[in-house]
Amino acid sequence: MFANHDNSGTATTTSYRVVLPFYFYAAIAFLVATVLLFLSTGDLQGHYFHPHTLAITHTMALGWGTMIILGASHQLVPVLIEGPLYSNRLAYLSFLLAAAGIPLLVYGFYVFDVGWPTQTGALLLIGAIICFLINLGTSMVQSKKENIHALSVFTASLWLLATAVVGLLLLCNFSQPLLPAGSLSYLSLHAHMGIVGWFLLLVTGVGSRLIPMFLISKYTHTKTLWWIFMLINTGLLAFVFLFLYTNSRWLFVWPLLAIAAAIVLFGHFCFRAYQERIRKKVDEPMQLSLLSVLLLLLPILLLILIVVWLMLSPAVNSQLVIAYGFIVFFGWITAIVLGMTFKTLPFIVWNKVYHDLAGKGKTPNPKDLFTQAVFNWMGLSYVAGFVVFTTGLFLQQAGILQTGSVLLLITAVLYNWNVMKLLIHKATIV
Amino acid sequence: MNVITNNTLKSTVALAALQDVVDPEIGLNVVDLGLIYQLDFDEHAGKLYCSMTLTTQFCPMGDSITSAVKERLKLAFPGYEITCELTFDPPWSHAMISPEGKEFLNEK
Repeated sequence: MFANHDNSGTATTTSYRVVLPFYFYAAIAFLVATVLLFLSTGDLQGHYFHPHTLAITHTMALGWGTMIILGASHQLVPVLIEGPLYSNRLAYLSFLLAAAGIPLLVYGFYVFDVGWPTQTGALLLIGAIICFLINLGTSMVQSKKENIHALSVFTASLWLLATAVVGLLLLCNFSQPLLPAGSLSYLSLHAHMGIVGWFLLLVTGVGSRLIPMFLISKYTHTKTLWWIFMLINTGLLAFVFLFLYTNSRWLFVWPLLAIAAAIVLFGHFCFRAYQERIRKKVDEPMQLSLLSVLLLLLPILLLILIVVWLMLSPAVNSQLVIAYGFIVFFGWITAIVLGMTFKTLPFIVWNKVYHDLAGKGKTPNPKDLFTQAVFNWMGLSYVAGFVVFTTGLFLQQAGILQTGSVLLLITAVLYNWNVMKLLIHKATIV
Repeated sequence: MNVITNNTLKSTVALAALQDVVDPEIGLNVVDLGLIYQLDFDEHAGKLYCSMTLTTQFCPMGDSITSAVKERLKLAFPGYEITCELTFDPPWSHAMISPEGKEFLNEK
């Protein structure tokens, strides 16, 4: 009795103080991005290389998607590696550097000053990514329990670093030629290292852990996850190689097929997890997250169209490229962030507020800390806004684009409403 | 899953008290979820030892769940010294959910 008990698994988690600033920042960035979108709908009917389009894209990619992923990752890394986060200080530093760098970068793009604002912004961002990589890498080494999920996050972060370094090179290339061709020629390389290497690899790596966990699913298939990991990385490496060393456009079909296969496998994995779930009811945030998995198919279809177009015509179809970018950032990434925010943030806030009160009285459920009706309206305005704006992009109708941007702005306001409500929540106990 | 105990009667009281501790994400209590592995009582020394697990190691809600278990056991056994330890050997699996728990999850 009272002897020989294994107590190896302590439950130390990352402090909420580290994580919450990322969520707050991302919510504001989403609002800023939708305001900029509303003010710039006319610019989206021209060429994709436009200062306002670049500003919106980087607000969405960095301020919105990346900041919330970094925040959530600091919370989830202990779950993925089954060990504590190495350093809270590095996490704070990562936040401060990114929080300072992103507005500089966005401002620089908006006014198209590719000098000190954008270059300083990019350098700060690189610093933030390096801090995150050191923190993640050291946590993984100390935990000694590496797995496909943690490896995906680490590899995705390396791709993010590579994307940011290429981005800085492209910025410097504007003022003094460092690269064999103009910066515009390398945009596709920069964008796909970020979209596929960072976002896709990270979402598949973390999603394959979280989706079965939240669905309480029995399904697990590590071999499929390794295939997804290999297909994404080899596909992207092949793309980088072909981009830099060949002129043959039809060869791009191979990396595209590899990445498309990875997406199909990930979709299949999520479907099996959904089929084998123990909890039958799927809540609204999970529904939105599962919608994002379906939305992954749209950019792939558009990318196939773009590659086919490139093979048949010497010029890039600017509208297809803008639609592709919009669907990636306002479609797939936004849907997963909208859903996962309300699967993670309420628990972080609940832990912060009710940790010391647990078991001492009746506490509200984490899902009761935000307003469900506001969430439902947010979901509706988001789906409507996304569909209307995408239609506007294909039809090139200013009125439809304006309507879509207003709906997305409403989405951002409602999202912020619930996030701020969560962040200022005070304890209520019966 | 059957809970290991050296005192079936007292363990029944403890498990009844722990029905009030609910995993906030799943909405199911820790007993039906199969998180409680062992409840040992030392009546002479006034000690209660609880061994439990979490659905995921380093679960962000883990601290709150174990605190709540401790608080509920304190209420059920006043004056007892409560020791609550986490173990992940064996790790939690879906098979540990009680039939009542599975029924609850099917309906929810």
